[in-house]
Amino acid sequence: MGFPYDTADWAVVDGAMFMGWGGSAPGIYTLIAAIICVAVLWMGNSSEKAKYEDAEK
Amino acid sequence: MEEQIAELAAQVAALQASAGVTNTMFAETYYYLTIPLMIIIHAGFLAYEMGASRMKNVLSSGVKNILAFAFMIPTFYFFGWWVYWAFPTGITLSAGAAGISGAEYASSIAFGWGESAQYMGPNIADQASGVFFGAFALFACTTASIMSGAVIERIQTVGFTILAIVLGSFAWVVAAAWGWHADGWMVTMFGLHDFGAAGLVHAVAGFFALGVLVNLGPRIGKFNADGTANHIGGHNMPLTVTGLMLIIVGFWGFLMACVIVPGEGWSWFAAKGATIYGTPITLSALAFNILMGIAGGIIGAWIYTKDPFWMMSGALAGIISVASGLDIYFPGLAFIIAFGAGVILQPCAVWLEKRGIDDAVGAVTVHGTIGLYGLIALGVFASGYPALQGEGVATVSLVGQIVGAIVFFLLGFVPGYVVSFILNAMGMLRTPEAAEKAGLDPTKVPAQAYPEGISTSPAASS
Repeated sequence: MGFPYDTADWAVVDGAMFMGWGGSAPGIYTLIAAIICVAVLWMGNSSEKAKYEDAEK
Repeated sequence: MEEQIAELAAQVAALQASAGVTNTMFAETYYYLTIPLMIIIHAGFLAYEMGASRMKNVLSSGVKNILAFAFMIPTFYFFGWWVYWAFPTGITLSAGAAGISGAEYASSIAFGWGESAQYMGPNIADQASGVFFGAFALFACTTASIMSGAVIERIQTVGFTILAIVLGSFAWVVAAAWGWHADGWMVTMFGLHDFGAAGLVHAVAGFFALGVLVNLGPRIGKFNADGTANHIGGHNMPLTVTGLMLIIVGFWGFLMACVIVPGEGWSWFAAKGATIYGTPITLSALAFNILMGIAGGIIGAWIYTKDPFWMMSGALAGIISVASGLDIYFPGLAFIIAFGAGVILQPCAVWLEKRGIDDAVGAVTVHGTIGLYGLIALGVFASGYPALQGEGVATVSLVGQIVGAIVFFLLGFVPGYVVSFILNAMGMLRTPEAAEKAGLDPTKVPAQAYPEGISTSPAASS
């Protein structure tokens, strides 16, 4: 589980090889990515609404 | 003698290992290359709907299309891929006979956290998950693009993006789980056959768009007080027609990705290609029938309309109309079915328009109506064909295909209508009248499509 930093040898890697494998990091990265998507939609909607209000003036 | 036999055995083992590596690399490369080919579909839809927009809305149409693509990938990663593997047996999320479905299985391979993360990221021992995920994510992008063109020039960007996520990362994925999976209940119980996704991609997306259009309403100026319709021409027909051609190019990748290659642990066969149902198929079958479908659709549309927009839409409709049975149609029959699709295409769009629906690019007709036409046509011609690999399996039937058509219609229309209704109630669906009249580009896009303008020429009488 996780990259074998002790040996630092690719020869012993026979499965998942991404950073954070074996710990909680992948889940945390995924959660942060999802939060970014939701936040961007929220902020984008606010920005879009402001543009429409300007057009209606 | 024994030494020679041992040496020979070692050489055979080495050859087998080498052939295995070659096959695995071929399989991985095969699906990998379908991904950029399917991105061409998205490029085509982008050109298509920007060309179909008036000059004041060109970039706004492009922005929402690009954004749909960008949001489709992560949301399909977050939950869409899980939905495909969890839902085949229905809403119980139980495991199916093939052993590759249900909530427990899906949670073990399709989440980007915990143990299943090993299949959702770089893994030296897994050369399939990523390319399969990529191909399916691009199928999802295609559904969003289908809806995108129908709603141009009056939909809000974020509201549209939310609808795209619901369609691309949930609605069509449920349809795929039910009708495009060896454990899918519509396959195992009704013998549904939809090899090239005429129903589960095109019809679902087309009728999702219809559900949205009901709540979104027509563009200002589309209909007169007496209910008659005005034609709102796009600013660039060549761009639209070229976009349609790009979509057709990309669909070769889409349909290629529907084939399960042989020789891998997850393959249906050791030495021949299969459909997603485990029934046999060859790429030659696709070459015969896609080409005949394109030709039939163009010719059918030309004889009725003489209009390049409808001719190229006819090409797309031709492919869609035969997509369900590309694996088993005879080319002459594929041509006839596609010709019929080309002929009925424009009248169906006019029929819809007369009911007050402003579908700016004919997406509901091309993808929705023709998708169901193709699905049911297969039931007429292919009844009795085994729907799955194995003995005693369900067979293709007209009833089964009609059941599929009804389910796909509902899986598209209902979520499209409900979610757009909610967005409308929240003020996130329709752009304000002032912005629509002024144009969405000058309202919210900090760039100009044509700073130096475009000169125009009059159209010939039809």
